[in-house]
Amino acid sequence: MSASIEIANVTKRYGTLTVLDDISLSISPSEFVVFLGPSGCGKSTLLRMIAGLEDVTEGMISVGGQRVDTLPPGKRGVAMVFQSYALYPHMTVHENMSFGLENIGVAKKEIEKRIRLAAETLEIAHLLDRKPQKLSGGQRQRAAIGRAIVKEPKAFLFDEPLSNLDAALRGRTRLELAQLHARLGSTMIFVTHDQVEAMTLADRIVVMHNRKIEQIGTPMEIYHHPATRFVAGFVGSPAMNFIPVQRITQNENGTAVDAAGIGNLDTAIRLPTAFSSQSATLGIRAEDISVLSPGQSGVPLIAEVVERLGDRTLIYGRLSDGTKLTVEADGRNEASAGDRLEIALDASAIHLFDADGMAHHPEGE
Amino acid sequence: MAESYRRGHPGHALFILPYLTAFVVLLAFPLFWSIWLSLHKVDLFGPGRFVGLTNYTRVLADPVFLQAFRNTILFVALSVPTLVALGLFLALALNRTTRTTSFFRGLFFSSSVLSVTIVTLIWRFVFIPRDGLIPVIFEQLGLQPINFLSTSGWSLFAVGVATVWWCLGLPMMLFLAALQQIPADLYEAAALDNASPWRVLRRITLPSIARTIMLVTIIQIVMQFQLFGQAQLMTNGGPNGTSRPLVMYIYETGFIRWDVGKGAAASELLFLIILCAAMVQYIISTRKPEVRE
Amino acid sequence: MSRDQSTYRPETLTASRPLLWIAALLSVVMMAPVAWLVGLSIKNNRELMLGTESVFRLPYTLVNYVNILHSSQAFGWFFNSMIVAIGQTIGVLVLSSLAGYAFARLEFPLRRTIFVIVLFGLAVPEQAVIIARHQMFNWFGLHNSHLGLMLPGMSSAFGVFLMTQFFRAIPKEIDEAALLDNASQWRIFWKIMLPLTLPAQATLGIFTFLHAWNDYWWPLISATKKEMYTLTIGIASSQTNFAQSEGLGFLSAQAVFASLPVLIVYIFFQRHIVTAVSGGAVK
Repeated sequence: MSASIEIANVTKRYGTLTVLDDISLSISPSEFVVFLGPSGCGKSTLLRMIAGLEDVTEGMISVGGQRVDTLPPGKRGVAMVFQSYALYPHMTVHENMSFGLENIGVAKKEIEKRIRLAAETLEIAHLLDRKPQKLSGGQRQRAAIGRAIVKEPKAFLFDEPLSNLDAALRGRTRLELAQLHARLGSTMIFVTHDQVEAMTLADRIVVMHNRKIEQIGTPMEIYHHPATRFVAGFVGSPAMNFIPVQRITQNENGTAVDAAGIGNLDTAIRLPTAFSSQSATLGIRAEDISVLSPGQSGVPLIAEVVERLGDRTLIYGRLSDGTKLTVEADGRNEASAGDRLEIALDASAIHLFDADGMAHHPEGE
Repeated sequence: MAESYRRGHPGHALFILPYLTAFVVLLAFPLFWSIWLSLHKVDLFGPGRFVGLTNYTRVLADPVFLQAFRNTILFVALSVPTLVALGLFLALALNRTTRTTSFFRGLFFSSSVLSVTIVTLIWRFVFIPRDGLIPVIFEQLGLQPINFLSTSGWSLFAVGVATVWWCLGLPMMLFLAALQQIPADLYEAAALDNASPWRVLRRITLPSIARTIMLVTIIQIVMQFQLFGQAQLMTNGGPNGTSRPLVMYIYETGFIRWDVGKGAAASELLFLIILCAAMVQYIISTRKPEVRE
Repeated sequence: MSRDQSTYRPETLTASRPLLWIAALLSVVMMAPVAWLVGLSIKNNRELMLGTESVFRLPYTLVNYVNILHSSQAFGWFFNSMIVAIGQTIGVLVLSSLAGYAFARLEFPLRRTIFVIVLFGLAVPEQAVIIARHQMFNWFGLHNSHLGLMLPGMSSAFGVFLMTQFFRAIPKEIDEAALLDNASQWRIFWKIMLPLTLPAQATLGIFTFLHAWNDYWWPLISATKKEMYTLTIGIASSQTNFAQSEGLGFLSAQAVFASLPVLIVYIFFQRHIVTAVSGGAVK
């Protein structure tokens, strides 16, 4: 069973403090949506409002076409997996799973059937009689997901469920969650501050910042066409380079940009006539800058720190005017700190941001 | 607007209703009723007559009350420092988890679980003339026997000994709890700084538990101000009232002589003293933990 | 703090050998009066009349303990103490758990104000209310009854305070998960929260039991009929006119007998008692 979720003009205030400001979002059935943002951006609050653990100050939330924001949490038909898992410590895994079903009067036989099915799916059948203390972190995680599955909810809500796992397990669980979503076909909302989780799991990512939604889009849209300077800087590692723009000349093919320490670049970006170069910024990812082989001339860069990651090399340096710039070169690059390099920027991968941080991208592709 | 699942469900009040009833009927109401009584002339028959603060002036002018007050102050002044010092010493001595120290901790705390009746019985059998443990020892050593329980001066001392013996466990446990809160790396840092054990005690251990020392002192002041059973059972306040504490005065006034108004007035005076101590305790315990040196 | 044997342990004065020896010496002083009491209890009264130094000599006898078995009075008092202590303990556990859960987790009008007032109750000594309480119990004819003896202890704010702390220590996500599991507030309390506070219940329960068993003030005032005495009061009453009538040996045996339940509880539940006293006072 999967349902659509509609969030309409939702605002959340604690007294005079506004935590979420006029949020609207619709999620289709079976969609896997990730709320991504730095801590304190309100993403968890939004999730908890859908669950009913926080009340809605203004606006409306519907699940499967039914308005739920006036219903108590248990009546909304959603299931939640907590960051701390929140398994009932004094109950076995089996009891943890059956508790919610008993509360709504599901027949004993049906409860057993659902638990058996979920346990098989999650490969925890041998753990059903254990209490949470006797489980490893990964097993607890599965038990918590199992508790959600047996309820056959209209939607699953995940609140940073991977953050308590170690790196290796986190990667594996991520894969399994993706498989689980494919198998169950349920609507899922997943809250995280980890962009890798967001990029790998999401059908659509909702990037949140400072009480508002910055952008909603597929992982590729978010990465290649960030709507704002915040999204551009938050998604991607290393973070996107930002270079102050000095002058802009519009021509029939697009825009010529004169940026500090770089000089003129011809881009295919079409800007609105009102665009002002005042406080505008040029953005480019490290991987869209290449190091030229010796003898070729481009933009000069003094390398300050060189990080060798094996498959690639990150060069942190300064342009002639002192602007910092990160360049990604291949793993065999032999540059070292202090070297003077010649680099080239891929003009088709350049983004321009106006003073308010709104993004403009090259046309085509 | 949505109703939060937590907010103001009147049904939630049902959870506190049972206790609140007990609190109001058995504590809050009696407290106000006592204050009311202390402002009235009441005897066993018929309703009282409002007399203002007369009961209080009667109490304060009563030489028996003043003597009991002095006795109590003296008792607190002697027993509390002893309890704090001994408790602190034992905590320092036993601040390590081994089988031996656990055994001693258990032993030193064990007297605290006995009732006042048993404690006083034990100590009377230690002090009573001729048959007590101390007279027997004195006799063996050829010393002049002292009648501890009925000699003025010694009687309050005997009550104090029994009290320290009875109450020692709590300060020790509180100090132990505080000592265990001191991070081990502080000691390691001090060792790297070549500090002598004595300096470590003076400059690290004691400053780290300064707040607990204050709290324990106040808790003990509050407790020892309520001295009653030990004095009543060991010396009955004697001789000549030299070991009669405040609470015993309240008991005798209110329940032996049935001078209800005067007894209530005396009890409110005691309440006032304890309230002040409790205020200080509250202020200290809510103040932020001490800064380490 | 469990550390490896190999871990370097800085030299400190605490728990050093000389201090331990002094503590051991103190413990001998501490236990001497108890040993004296036990010694008296296993001597024949007639022998003690001649001189109590006979405690250090044979023969010993259990006759005083056998005599307790024949004294219906002591057993009656023991029975009263049991009823009162158990009744009060159950009452305190029920009231404190309900109220503690409400203060820690539920919203209701005036919650903060009520909590502060209840905390204020911690500062009210029993003496300040005893005279009025005595009158009230008189009106309702509650003196010299088991109910009358166990009721006042139930107003203690200590238990509420302790349980509020324990409930607060349970992660909020646990009850949120239960809410999403469509459990009613009562079911959350009964099936989820209460089982999680079982250790706390034990702590508070044992503490309350000891407190009720040892209480002196209230039973002294409320139980005036000899057959309604608790063991504490009963022993006190036979203490005040001892010597001639019953003898040191018998009284000592009675005292040992009366302390046994408390000491047994203490030996088995020492950890809980220590948690209760130190947790309640320091936090």
